[in-house]
Amino acid sequence: MMVGAGVEPVVQMFHVHKRYGPQIALRDVNLTVLRNEFVFVTGPSGAGKTTLLRLIFLQEQVSEGQILVNGVNLQRVRRRIIPLLRRSIGFVFQDFRLIDTYTVYENIALVLEATGRERSYIQKKVRQVLGMVGLEDRMHTYPPRLSGGEQQRVAVARAAVGNPWILLADELTGNLDDDAADMVFDLLKQLHKRGTTIVVATHDTRLFGKVPGRVVFLNKGRIEDEKRP
Amino acid sequence: MNLTVLSSIIRRVRRNIAAGPYLHLAATATIAFSMLILGVFSILYVNISDLLRSWQQDIRVVAYLEEDLVKQRLEALRQHLAELPGVEKIRYVSKDEAMSRLRSQMKHRASLLDGLKENPLPASLEIQLAPGWQRWERLDPLADEIKTFSGIQDVAAAEAWLHRFTGFMGFFRLASLIVGGLVFATTVFVCANTIRLTLYAKRQEIEIMKLVGATDSFVKTPFYAQNILEGALGGIVGLGFLFISFKLFIARLHSGHALLSTFDIRFLSLTGCAALLFAGILMSWIGSYLSLRQFLKP
Repeated sequence: MMVGAGVEPVVQMFHVHKRYGPQIALRDVNLTVLRNEFVFVTGPSGAGKTTLLRLIFLQEQVSEGQILVNGVNLQRVRRRIIPLLRRSIGFVFQDFRLIDTYTVYENIALVLEATGRERSYIQKKVRQVLGMVGLEDRMHTYPPRLSGGEQQRVAVARAAVGNPWILLADELTGNLDDDAADMVFDLLKQLHKRGTTIVVATHDTRLFGKVPGRVVFLNKGRIEDEKRP
Repeated sequence: MNLTVLSSIIRRVRRNIAAGPYLHLAATATIAFSMLILGVFSILYVNISDLLRSWQQDIRVVAYLEEDLVKQRLEALRQHLAELPGVEKIRYVSKDEAMSRLRSQMKHRASLLDGLKENPLPASLEIQLAPGWQRWERLDPLADEIKTFSGIQDVAAAEAWLHRFTGFMGFFRLASLIVGGLVFATTVFVCANTIRLTLYAKRQEIEIMKLVGATDSFVKTPFYAQNILEGALGGIVGLGFLFISFKLFIARLHSGHALLSTFDIRFLSLTGCAALLFAGILMSWIGSYLSLRQFLKP
């Protein structure tokens, strides 16, 4: 059963600016993402899509403005708290970011090992997400031996295994052919159905019709338009 | 720390070592070599200190008496000397006893003494010192004070070469500290670089770990564990080599040099070995601490 978007904000961005030296990546961005919402952030290359996700994921600090994630002000988060916050946020990267020397199983299990979970729980949970992405039979394979689509499915499984309440995906279909992209995107739909808030940065406009999500248009670091489902 | 984290650490240590076995072998060999150098210095230091201590324990002040000292004055002198601080025991050596000692010291050349018409050796008081009084800074003033007593012709304290030898020991102690410090710093530097190279090779893995919510300690612990392992292994190998070399040296010494073989040269005590092993682990740990601190700084 599809879980509808709630009214509780999980991400709030207030007048956010991000500068890299003289270059401005984001200008006065105000954005609220509600619980269980599906949001597409789109725009041309260099519009600031990736920067926006990186700010929410604490990979970058804002130059000005404020970001609240689940009520936590990211500007006031101490360094040692960052890993704990990241555990509640799943992130799928365009380039997969899998560890080549770890098997598929180990790549996914790492998330739970870092939290000190019991071995039996890890085994059960990893098998479960591998079943969800259809790669149970590849669990002992190393990522370089998988296709791009399979690697991205592993990345989705890794992002999902910790039961995050929000999942951020950066151009997750950018390196995939249409069939593989559809398969990976279907996984995000499944997670959304289970109640996970999803924010996808993409310029693949084909995806917008596949799920009733809000589309946020970014251009030159500014939100230019929004389309609600 | 639960079993999952422990098994994850062991797995990652194994992977780190497998990724660059020669690098870790070189680090372990460096620690072993350092242990060998530090061990040689420690053995020399311990044995020379032992020797010096035993010589110092034998240090006594000998007060040579005037020829015509009557028995009553001798007793009074003994009593006065016994009241001096640092004097533990006084023994009277008569002229005859002094001659008989000289005869036994001269062994087969003792016949040279037969031509003497009278015994030229003076009677003396041998003053044994209390523990802690065999040091130069206390011994010399005491000897000077004894010289002022009437009835005493001359006073002999320890010989000058022993004085010089004590000075040499001070120099040797300083040299040991400098060499030890240099060996320590070099080993730390090598260990730090081994970890730095491993960290560099694993930088992508570390970055991904941090992205999926691993804490700094989760990332760091296997590197510390790996270096402590190398430190312990290097320490054991170094101590093993040191022990074998020591045994071979002693065997050679006993078969070759008759004079040196009379010295009782000892290996490091168990505490000394444990201290060296701990030094190896410490050097390794400091190396990884410095590299990790630099690599994982925000």
